[in-house]
Amino acid sequence: MKFIVSSSYLLKQLQVLGGIINNNNTLPILDNFLFDLDGNSLTVSASDLETTVSSTLDVESNESGSVCIPARLLLDTLKTFPEQPLTFTVEENSTVEISSNHGKYALAYAPGEEFPSAVELKDPSETKVQGDILATAISKTIFASGNDDLRPVMSGVFFQFSTEGLTFVATDAHKLVKYSREDVSASQTAEFIMPKKPLTLLKNILAGSEEEVTIEYNDSNAKFSFDNTTMICRLIDGKYPNYEAVIPKENPNKLSIDRNQFLNSVRRVSIFSNKTTHQIRLKIAGAELNISAEDIDYSNKAEERLTCDYQGDDMQIGFNSRFLTEMLNNLTSDDVSLEMSLPNRAGILTPVDGLDEGERVTMLVMPVMLNN
Amino acid sequence: METELPIRKIIHVDMDAFYASVEQLDDPSLVGKAIAVGGGGTRGVVSAASYEARKFGVRSAMSGALAKKLCPELIFVRTNFERYREISAKIRKIFFEYTDLVEPLSLDEAYLDVTENKKGNPSATLIATEIRQKIKERTGLNASAGISINKFIAKVASDINKPNGQKTVPPEEVLDFLEQLDIKKFYGVGKVMKEKMYRHGIYTGADLKKKSFEYLQENFGKSGSYYYNIVRGIHNSTVKPERTRKSLAAERTFSENISSEIFMLEKLENIAEEVAKRLKKSKVAGRTITLKIKYRDFTLQTRSKTLPLYIASKELILDNVKDLLLQDEMKDSVRLLGISMSNLNNEKGKKKEEIPEKTIDVQLKLEF
Repeated sequence: MKFIVSSSYLLKQLQVLGGIINNNNTLPILDNFLFDLDGNSLTVSASDLETTVSSTLDVESNESGSVCIPARLLLDTLKTFPEQPLTFTVEENSTVEISSNHGKYALAYAPGEEFPSAVELKDPSETKVQGDILATAISKTIFASGNDDLRPVMSGVFFQFSTEGLTFVATDAHKLVKYSREDVSASQTAEFIMPKKPLTLLKNILAGSEEEVTIEYNDSNAKFSFDNTTMICRLIDGKYPNYEAVIPKENPNKLSIDRNQFLNSVRRVSIFSNKTTHQIRLKIAGAELNISAEDIDYSNKAEERLTCDYQGDDMQIGFNSRFLTEMLNNLTSDDVSLEMSLPNRAGILTPVDGLDEGERVTMLVMPVMLNN
Repeated sequence: METELPIRKIIHVDMDAFYASVEQLDDPSLVGKAIAVGGGGTRGVVSAASYEARKFGVRSAMSGALAKKLCPELIFVRTNFERYREISAKIRKIFFEYTDLVEPLSLDEAYLDVTENKKGNPSATLIATEIRQKIKERTGLNASAGISINKFIAKVASDINKPNGQKTVPPEEVLDFLEQLDIKKFYGVGKVMKEKMYRHGIYTGADLKKKSFEYLQENFGKSGSYYYNIVRGIHNSTVKPERTRKSLAAERTFSENISSEIFMLEKLENIAEEVAKRLKKSKVAGRTITLKIKYRDFTLQTRSKTLPLYIASKELILDNVKDLLLQDEMKDSVRLLGISMSNLNNEKGKKKEEIPEKTIDVQLKLEF
């Protein structure tokens, strides 16, 4: 087995795939890339058992075969090369030899059959989404997902497909983001929970991509295909919480404000907040928003005033400043609206402008109960 | 020296094989058969046994497997607490026709103080007979009763003519009754205490009475004075309608012993949910949380901590119990886990001044 490939082209693909490889694998074979050669087409795969990603590359060859090559060693080597053709030759003595303009490097390989093969999806449903839209949906939601091992369903992002549109939801019970697109739809309704790790990878690959992504899914697995890449991953098993039920319907108190101004104030004031609760207090009266924080343990205190557009009763509400910062940071609009009802009910943060046609973002943040 | 006895008229009503009788009532095919409520499955525990089953030595709290061995014809019936509660409420209604001083001990047992009763009937014995009749008429179940001057003697007495009988210990017979009473029949004397009493040469009430106050205190500690008084007919605990809960707990025995803390956390989540549900139902919150661990070899361990504020939500219970679970290594694989909340905020006024409730701002959660 022998092939010739461009070093930077190979490196670019391998760096993407490498994102899925765990640092400490219980199965040593997973520390490898699988190279599967079929004439001019080389398919490279990486896996963590939950997720398998493969990319197909054009190479110069007329042979076939498959080997597992140590990922770390190969990546470290490739990174140092300037662009040049590399020749990979599988030798009789269980080593792969790479020859470059500079010299020769031998890596031990394992037979390709040892690499765990990815699952085949049985009777999948299919939906197509533009890469950029998928990447946006992921980046808008993923930060709100939880890390609680006890509630695994909340550690992922909930995909809800229907003929009317696509909805993506993530929550850790403190905050919740619902991102929906009415301009894209699926041929039939489907729901599944995607784990965080493959989504992060997808988000990075697909950002800004015009390419169409084909999503196939059944009850247990999902497959994303685009360009020369496919990703097959196991879904999170379980029932996603009924998030619609916790989105408050009646929110008589509505605040509109410049997002950047609000974000900057929250950031500054929160420096003075308690280091464990990160709690800040919003006092809204008339057209004035008063943001304050206090760390009683150290007698630190801060207070800022902003003008805003406010309709509703005067109120005081406490929030974890980290949640607010994360959410405000994730939005891109000029102005945001914060709708509230009571100091112990969730606040709803939405962008006022800057959305595409059919695009909707709803962010929920639970307050901190203030003890005056 | 004769002690003057505070004379109350107390009735202890105890349903006969309550759960089992209810099941037999609801399913006539079970009448006359040896049945056990609960205890199905490989590791179940019998909650109640019918009298037919008791003949074979089947007792409540016995493992289902052992019960089956003792009585191969034993029929296991699933517990149906809804139904027991329903019937228990009916029975309590009867009690309230006589007095408001009703102290329920469980679904099938209660103390009644009928010193002054709504019927103006001076005879507690006759009241007890009437109550038992009414229970039979309205529910079809048999009850036994004990009648005497205090809760302790009433309770002991209700056991004497069981099932479907009653026993009155009138004031003049109280002291004799207690002297003749086998020590193991004293309320509060279980297997361990019985052994201890036997070692001290105490086999009956009379033996107990011969011991001096100092001797009892020295050898039995705090409970020494309880035993000293009780055998002299002094038991001043009044019938307390509406007992305030001191603690609230839930536990699970697993079908297989578990050793992984991850699985334990999973189980604890369910238990915490149950505890939170019960706290919510009783409208209380607790400050002391206790994790109970029963190991494979049945040794028991508890770990507890007291918090600066009252908690009642599943999440907070779980957070704290997680800390308790992980604070130390498990000695062995575990067959049972339990969570109990005590130091409840239902003790009116009493605790308030002692510990000012610390105010902590609480991050609220979405309620899924």
